[in-house]
Amino acid sequence: MPQNSTSDRKAMVSMQHSGGKSGILSVVVAGWARAGNFALLGIFVTLLLIFSLTVPHFATVANLSNVLQRNSIIGIVACGMLLMIILAGFDLSVGAVGAMSSVVAAALIVHVSMVAGIAAGLLLGLVVGLVNGFCIAKIGINAFVATLATQVLVTGFLFVGTAAQPIYGVPESFTFLGLGKIGPLPVPTLIFAIIALLVWALLRFTTFGHYIYIVGGNRTAARLAGINVDRVTIATYGIGGLLAGVAGIVLLGETTIGQPASATDWPLSAIAAVVVGGVPLSGGVGRVSGAILGTLLLGIIANALNLLGISPFWQPAVTGAVILVAVGVDAYQRRQSERR
Amino acid sequence: MLLEMRNIAKSFAAGPVLHGVDFSVAAGEIHALIGHNGAGKSTLMKTLAGNFADYSGEILIEGRLSAFHTPAEALAQGVAIIYQDFALVPDMSVAANIALGREPKGPWPGLMPHRALRERSAREAASLGIDLPMDRPIRRLGVAAQQLTEIVRACSQDVRILIMDEPTARLAPAERAHLFAVMRRMGRERGVGIIYISHFLDEVRDIADRITIMRDGRVVETKAVAHYTVDDLAHLLVGHTDIVLDQRPGRRNAKQTQSGPPVLELDHLSVSGRPGVSLTLAAGEILGLAGLVGSGRTRLARAMVGDVVSNGTLRIDGRAITRRSPQRSAAAGLVMVPEDRKISGLALAASVEANMEVTALGKILSRYGIIRRRAQRQMVERLIGSFRIHPPVREKPVGTLSGGNAQKVLLARAVAARPRVMILDQPTAGVDIGAKAELHKLILLAAEEGATVVLISDDLDEILGLADRVVVMTAGSAGPPISRADLDRAKLLSAISRVSQTNIAGVDFPR
Repeated sequence: MPQNSTSDRKAMVSMQHSGGKSGILSVVVAGWARAGNFALLGIFVTLLLIFSLTVPHFATVANLSNVLQRNSIIGIVACGMLLMIILAGFDLSVGAVGAMSSVVAAALIVHVSMVAGIAAGLLLGLVVGLVNGFCIAKIGINAFVATLATQVLVTGFLFVGTAAQPIYGVPESFTFLGLGKIGPLPVPTLIFAIIALLVWALLRFTTFGHYIYIVGGNRTAARLAGINVDRVTIATYGIGGLLAGVAGIVLLGETTIGQPASATDWPLSAIAAVVVGGVPLSGGVGRVSGAILGTLLLGIIANALNLLGISPFWQPAVTGAVILVAVGVDAYQRRQSERR
Repeated sequence: MLLEMRNIAKSFAAGPVLHGVDFSVAAGEIHALIGHNGAGKSTLMKTLAGNFADYSGEILIEGRLSAFHTPAEALAQGVAIIYQDFALVPDMSVAANIALGREPKGPWPGLMPHRALRERSAREAASLGIDLPMDRPIRRLGVAAQQLTEIVRACSQDVRILIMDEPTARLAPAERAHLFAVMRRMGRERGVGIIYISHFLDEVRDIADRITIMRDGRVVETKAVAHYTVDDLAHLLVGHTDIVLDQRPGRRNAKQTQSGPPVLELDHLSVSGRPGVSLTLAAGEILGLAGLVGSGRTRLARAMVGDVVSNGTLRIDGRAITRRSPQRSAAAGLVMVPEDRKISGLALAASVEANMEVTALGKILSRYGIIRRRAQRQMVERLIGSFRIHPPVREKPVGTLSGGNAQKVLLARAVAARPRVMILDQPTAGVDIGAKAELHKLILLAAEEGATVVLISDDLDEILGLADRVVVMTAGSAGPPISRADLDRAKLLSAISRVSQTNIAGVDFPR
């Protein structure tokens, strides 16, 4: 390895010569990998342009506003998921938590008050998240198993508590949270934006945020460096649960119905959004911009298919292909750069 | 001769490792191969095990020139190797592991005849005088039994030459005796030639028939074991020519350093039932912790930072740290640079900055959990500059840095928290010479600025070059501190290359 080469690029080129085969290609790929989110942004903008030119009614204020409105909930969940993925974990219970939050909020809004409903929904989300974190950090259950278990558990309680019946009677005014608009900007999108901003600030400006990266990157190293790994883990899952709760409230705002069987697709959609946003499941890296771009990228693709009149049955297949391609390219780059 | 290796040479990208080595093993012989880290003994044995297609020289089995270009060819010649960390399947039974890859065929194609397999494995073990619980999964066996399983497996494949890489490093004394009995029996009854690699020089004298000493990719000499004492071996291993550079020019002498108020005090600190360690270190003092791999150095270090449970008292600046944990240690000013930066040191995917700031973040660089961004930036930039980390880029993932630079990041992280005590576990393992020299300077600088340093290293020169006093660890227990002035390489090597503390009594130290 070079010790004294003057520039970054030079270092990369000479590293290449010592170990690799196809020089120029790898340098390009490495540059790409370094650009990270810029590449993703490029793909997003390109798609946006292509859709604007080829898909009828795509590039209208009404449609784009619609895209934002429809994807904000997953965006909110993805922000929480991002934190847990940076921590080298993930949360399969966000869907159940969202459903629970919206059902409990609906019940309390109908019978008690709006404030109590919202507060209870958020609090329950936080609590389930903390339980997840506790199981993972203190007991040592694998994140997949722990959150799968809480997901099933919460869903079960929800069905028992409601006899699997939706809860009606939330006042129309509550739809402001889900369907309202400020100018062309949907309220859910505003909430998504605020949360994204908060998560960005958390990751950037707080010790806790910086610790998430180190704990996710190497638990042992974090522990030996004196970080309270358990506390960071529990708090991160707590935030993940809280944001799922927020998303549940917004969902209630869209439908005004507390539906226990809703939101089942959230966990995988949110994970998909984050990984398409270039964040590896191995932890230690990731940015909010990735989660946002991943969410919107999948959103505009679904929307374009819709507008083109392609059967909605095709949508999952296309989404799956996008995930494979996006993550595949990323994983391949990493493999190549590890080989050097 | 059963095995003759003539004029073996092997080079890697970094340069030649073996320069024309001659080595031979007779049938029934136990031949010890000893040498310091990097002497070339592993490369020689890997060549014999067929790991390299591009060695030069001749390998003869019973006088016939044979090819050793692939592991399959080596196996066909009857060469088997037992690595330190065994190649067994943990959840399968002992019997199945012995038969691994050569399962007996039953009457039904594709179905395993379990009883035949079990009986055959038991027979094979019995023929070596080894008793093993055939049905128990390997996972539930001790190290010694796992090793015996490996031996039975190797011997059941018509092995003629068995290479054992540090087979006793993790064994209790009774288990060693049993292993040696098995080794002798294999030689006597089956004529197997055993090549035995070990760092325990006293043990080598007990078991081997002949000894080959390697240094710097060459054979120093091969003689019958009766020619040597442990001290002779130590002298031959280190060589006479090189002189250790005392890297402490201008450093206050050790006596002066120790006269200051105590910073780190260990009072009967003990781990997992081993005898307690008591020590007192002053500000700016560097203590070398020497010993072989597995002698308990890392475990003692981990106990000091509170990562493993221990008994006894640890004081920093006179205050005892109760309920020791890495967090509480960090708060009290005790930080550690763990061994193996990839596994327990760094978050490789995270940036240089993120790795470097960790220890200082809570203590110095933040207020109410909000990072003081300017101070943080300045500190990271300053450390990247003063540690000369290349490339000097904050955002670069640590995993993309060279070993030396990654290690500098790790040391910078420890220094960033302005610690009272730094424990450095193998701080220069696997880094190039240039980076090593820089790291040494940085360690000395940290000590000069008042940090007390505990330095664990496999590199004798590093210990002798940096430490004011040295504690030798063997089999989990620590000896008394020895002043640097009373040590040279041969004495130090001789002291660490023993199976237990009692055997050190013979070493001639002014205490």
